[in-house]
Amino acid sequence: MYHPFKTFLLPCLLSLFFCSSCHQNNHQDLSPSKKKYSVYILGKDGKEYLLETDSLNSGSLRPEEKGALLDGEVMDRDVIVHKGYYYHLSRKKASFEKYKLNGSTLTLLAAMPLKDFSIENFNWVSKDTLLLTGLNKSDYTQVKYILVNTDKMLKVSAGDINIPRPSGKFTSVSIGFAELRKDKMLLGYTYNEQLSSSNYSTSDTTYVSVIKYPEMRLIKTDKDTRSTSPGGTNTIQSYSFNDEQGNYYFMSCPGIALGNRPELPTGIFRINAGQETIDKSYFFDISGSIIQNHAYGIWYLGHHKAIIRSERKDLFKGLSDHYSTAHFEFYVIDLIKKDIKKLALPLDKGTRRECVIVKDNIAFIAVNSTLNGNYIWLYNISDGTLKKGLQLAGDTDFIMRADKLN
Amino acid sequence: MKISKELIEKYHLGECDLQESKFVEEWLFSEETDQELELPSHENKADLKTQLWEEIQQVLPSGLPAPKAVPVRMLANKSSKIIYWASRTAAILILGLSSLIGYHLYFTPDDPLGLVSINNTSLLEVRHIDSKAYCISLAPESTAKINYQTGNIDFSGSIIISPKKDIELSIGGSEGKMTFKTGQTYIAMNGKSGYDRFILINERNLMDLPPVLQKQLINKFSI
Repeated sequence: MYHPFKTFLLPCLLSLFFCSSCHQNNHQDLSPSKKKYSVYILGKDGKEYLLETDSLNSGSLRPEEKGALLDGEVMDRDVIVHKGYYYHLSRKKASFEKYKLNGSTLTLLAAMPLKDFSIENFNWVSKDTLLLTGLNKSDYTQVKYILVNTDKMLKVSAGDINIPRPSGKFTSVSIGFAELRKDKMLLGYTYNEQLSSSNYSTSDTTYVSVIKYPEMRLIKTDKDTRSTSPGGTNTIQSYSFNDEQGNYYFMSCPGIALGNRPELPTGIFRINAGQETIDKSYFFDISGSIIQNHAYGIWYLGHHKAIIRSERKDLFKGLSDHYSTAHFEFYVIDLIKKDIKKLALPLDKGTRRECVIVKDNIAFIAVNSTLNGNYIWLYNISDGTLKKGLQLAGDTDFIMRADKLN
Repeated sequence: MKISKELIEKYHLGECDLQESKFVEEWLFSEETDQELELPSHENKADLKTQLWEEIQQVLPSGLPAPKAVPVRMLANKSSKIIYWASRTAAILILGLSSLIGYHLYFTPDDPLGLVSINNTSLLEVRHIDSKAYCISLAPESTAKINYQTGNIDFSGSIIISPKKDIELSIGGSEGKMTFKTGQTYIAMNGKSGYDRFILINERNLMDLPPVLQKQLINKFSI
């Protein structure tokens, strides 16, 4: 017999009860994690883990014992790690989410809807204000932004940026960097051409537009054809930085893994402090140097020195083995003198990784070696020595990212 | 060519030629249900509906009212023909349904069916081809030829392979076989010309792909 209480009211009351108890749990754990570092692991069986630690100097950690097993449906490594919290856009849920790691559980603290948005770059405007620049998800042709109050997880402002949509043979836009300078935003981008399901190309031009901030209105655009594919998605890997004087450096990545214009050189560009256009007198040609390869990823060490991560075209066959073959090398470069020094590290694997943390005089470099295991290496910036630090053991296949959590 | 009881019987006896097999398979894999039974020209569809409803009403509990919209007309002289057509319709439907269930239950790489050819002409929809050992999702505007006997998958466009057990497959004209592990998901892309590259990756390494290819896959498969 139909019973309205049993069939309808009771489940409603029960779900209300469970929802309120979840809510109470969340309230108890709102405080940020106090740990110093976080490490994102891809396991041998495809499982993913997130773990936190106070030291990367020595010892060994097994993600299956110390880490939180992640739900691949909602979490991926394009995560923004900031002051004890993790921020991530769930593609399937179209929701921008804030998480905290509680021992072996990743707890969802808050979420806000973020529809038709694909994040290309993020910038912290202040400690709790995050600027996301991205594209419309339906065809990646419209540049968009959203300013988020990450304390309350609320939208401050959002809208389109009037960067010209791709025209002619070009089918989509790629934003390589977004740099905030008081009342201006410098946006580096280029246009891509989808050639087939497995092939694409990129315009030979690097564009840097000056956008009025916070109005987000296009003022002017500067072009450069010395290289293309300026920077990349910085939720996955770093491609730019400011030096101590406020000069902004970014690396172009025309290799097969990013721009697919391998005939053009990987190079470092500079926008000088106080300027809004690329310094035409400066270009650090990486592919034309002793490295003779394309690079992806750059991290600033201070005093005009940086670490870059470059591929070895003689060791991989194509995109199918670009991520699984150990072929990446690390170099310390001097941006002014243009000196290049190779680091004596094992060959690293993984096409794109956030793998360098710079703290005081030490650069912690996460290396995935096929033969020697997964380690954090300690590079002493002042004396140039290298030392093996924390091992990521057990189920670890790749250290996908290592971040400073606090 | 039309789907008929005879053709389905012939298919299950393995007596179809290549063209007929392909036609039946396309019908079996098709998610559209636009195949309607065609009545002989002298039969009126509305009359048949009315008559069928009357037959059903006779066995229903007496308290239930007759549907108001349906006009009640007596067509006693046609009842035998109607029963004949009704039973034929039911027989074909049951046969079709059982073929489909049978296919899902017993289709293995050793199945004598061998080669399956699918062309997903849709601009938006992903098509799923399920078998006992693995499921293949075919992106819009992609084609695939799957040989369940040899484990050879030839395709153009983008596909996702989700193995249900560890299986060795040879894909995209690559040399030798590769092991596809249960519980993992693999994405493969292949251009339409020889100039284009063949790419095969584990879904967990999606972020390692060039962003342009990544974004295309995310939208096509809603992953």
